[in-house]
Amino acid sequence: MTEEYIMMQDIIQEHKERIENIKKYYPFFKLADNSLLQWKEGKYSCLDMGYITMAVLRFFIDENNLKDKDVAYQEYESFLHTILVRDFQLKVAEEEEKELCAYLFDKLLNEGKPFSFDYFDPKDHQKKTIRMKLIESRIIDSNLFYRITSEAIEFYLDTKEIKEESSISVEQLLLSKLIDTQNFKGGIEVVKRINREVNKLKLRRNEVLAILSADVFEGKKVYEAYINDITKWFDEEQRLFKKNSELIEKALEKAELDKKGKENARFFAMMDEIYTLELEIKKAMYKHSELLSLCTDLQLQADEIVKKSKLSTLRNSFDFNHAMNQMMEKDNVEAMEALILPLLQLNVKKQFSFVLTENLLSMKAENQEETETVTEGEEAAYVYEDELEEERISGNFHKIVRILFEKLQREQAFTLHQFNEELIQRLGERVLKNADYYTFLVHMCQKNTYSVREIRQKPDTFFEEIVHEILERKSDYDELCFRLIPKGEETVKITEMLEISDIQFEKVDESWKKEI
Amino acid sequence: MEERNLDKAIDILTRLLDGEEVGRNSGANVSLYEAYSTNAQVYDLVNRMLNRMNIKLYEYNYCLYITAGDNNQAFGFSNGDLRKELGLKVNRELYLCYFIIYQIITCFYTDSSGYNFNEYVKIEDIMETVDYSLKHIIDNLEILTNKETEENSFKTLAMMWSDLPAATEESIRAVKNSKAGYIKLVLNFLISQKLMAQSEERYYLKDRARALIENYFEESKGRLYEIIQGKEQEDAAY
Repeated sequence: MTEEYIMMQDIIQEHKERIENIKKYYPFFKLADNSLLQWKEGKYSCLDMGYITMAVLRFFIDENNLKDKDVAYQEYESFLHTILVRDFQLKVAEEEEKELCAYLFDKLLNEGKPFSFDYFDPKDHQKKTIRMKLIESRIIDSNLFYRITSEAIEFYLDTKEIKEESSISVEQLLLSKLIDTQNFKGGIEVVKRINREVNKLKLRRNEVLAILSADVFEGKKVYEAYINDITKWFDEEQRLFKKNSELIEKALEKAELDKKGKENARFFAMMDEIYTLELEIKKAMYKHSELLSLCTDLQLQADEIVKKSKLSTLRNSFDFNHAMNQMMEKDNVEAMEALILPLLQLNVKKQFSFVLTENLLSMKAENQEETETVTEGEEAAYVYEDELEEERISGNFHKIVRILFEKLQREQAFTLHQFNEELIQRLGERVLKNADYYTFLVHMCQKNTYSVREIRQKPDTFFEEIVHEILERKSDYDELCFRLIPKGEETVKITEMLEISDIQFEKVDESWKKEI
Repeated sequence: MEERNLDKAIDILTRLLDGEEVGRNSGANVSLYEAYSTNAQVYDLVNRMLNRMNIKLYEYNYCLYITAGDNNQAFGFSNGDLRKELGLKVNRELYLCYFIIYQIITCFYTDSSGYNFNEYVKIEDIMETVDYSLKHIIDNLEILTNKETEENSFKTLAMMWSDLPAATEESIRAVKNSKAGYIKLVLNFLISQKLMAQSEERYYLKDRARALIENYFEESKGRLYEIIQGKEQEDAAY
């Protein structure tokens, strides 16, 4: 029920206000819609009436409010000429162009009549008409001049076409106009709007700083545009504020003079409005200077950011956002530990946890046990260094033993010198530099007589074990029996530095061994 | 080596281990800082002793700050220690706190080469940053299997975060029943760690945090990128 009431209230009570608000757009669309198709058989249909309207309005604002002078028809004509030539490349005879300008001007003035729009007011239950002019004329010293109306400025303002350049300036112009016409209440609204604009600029400053921090290149562009706009405004703004303050003072004086003959209540209401307006203007001026100091700060900060950025491009640094994106991509939450833990203080408070004491007493399981994942894998076969050595030694011994046995089978007796020659012949000269060979000789010399059969049955020394291993694979030497006879002082020279005692290898019968 | 220099070095070490500030403006410790910065032997001794203890020392704005080195079992925090400190039960809650801390850093720093001129942050700023960072995961959250929810993953963090209300009551308390509560919990912890300072609703980064962020990330970036890529996962978790 309440909702329905509110809705009806919106529809009926506020309809007039809404229409009042949109009326400023009406002339534009009427003009834009009224194409030039009909005139001169559509010769000028290429012209855009909407664009021309906006251009002329901006021209009037510039002349009337920024330069503070009325516009003569000739001035309008020459301005429109530039537009027609520059933007529409219109090339017509001078006479015809004058005719066109007059026609267009007539349209803008709606042939001297206000643009009117009929609507139904549901509150009063009657049809009403709203009227609006874009340009009004007045005669000064017998000359006709034109000025833009405050509604037309308001309309232009709302299109926000010149917002980026100076919406505050236009608001100020409107304010001057309102003070001129003693519409102080409207003036207060305008100043409030100016304050809102200044607040917006302040917020914009923070945005610029944020962009600068995030991306220096993009930020620099935005920053330069912002500073450019702001600095352009300041001179103009200060002048307009001053002008408006003067206007208010004049209005106050005028009000004092007009006091006589006016009703008291109306006078006080007006004075109240003027004072409020003055207060608002002072607030606006304060905010304005605040914005100025913020901009100075911004300039300093921007310089520092750019300087830092130049430095940082020279060295590679840790990019936090990139790192986080990588972590998310890899879904590596644990990596955050390595990033955060080192920032903390030392953990010097080492205490025995009371919870643990309780756990000890009650033998409770922990709240959450961390499970260990066991991965299945193949057990690696480890080979230790000594095993490698053993393998090498045994391999070398096998080769030497085999060559020795073969030689013993072929020959009845030979010396170590001859055996060495045999080895060199079969294994190359390097064999005599192999330490294993001499180890072999040392092991072999532990006993004087060897019988393969006995070795087979019971290996006694390390050398015999090696022989035993060979025999397991090969049994051709079962009958072999030999003895070693050291040859005393005779030596075999291996290198310049090395010589060893010579040995006589002699094949014997097993019976001979038994005799011994 | 002079006995006096050794004494000074030990003094500096004990003050730092006690959590005191040793710097140009640190009251009673000014003379120690002077000794550290002007006497090469003291400088050398302090650094050698800290190195042996696997503690890193950073100098920032004429003040010394220390922190436990990688895998420092004696002076570093383990996940268990931190859970106890923050009053959390499980690791995924702790990881959410890590995530919030990381996002707080990004409010001040885009990279380790310099801060981005943000003077302070408010809880709502941090909440917005965390929301934004997890947004693309939250948007893609589908029905998760039990296994996924138990795992420590960003999906789990995003789900935990999106399940929390922004705030449960007007005054924000440091409890883990809302986003604001979690953030407050983390902020209180950071204040206790002397990394941040609070003034009304605003939270400022202290010099200690700046010293560690600018130096630690800068000098360890190679190793950190390896950890992020997952090459050192086993070593990283201690």
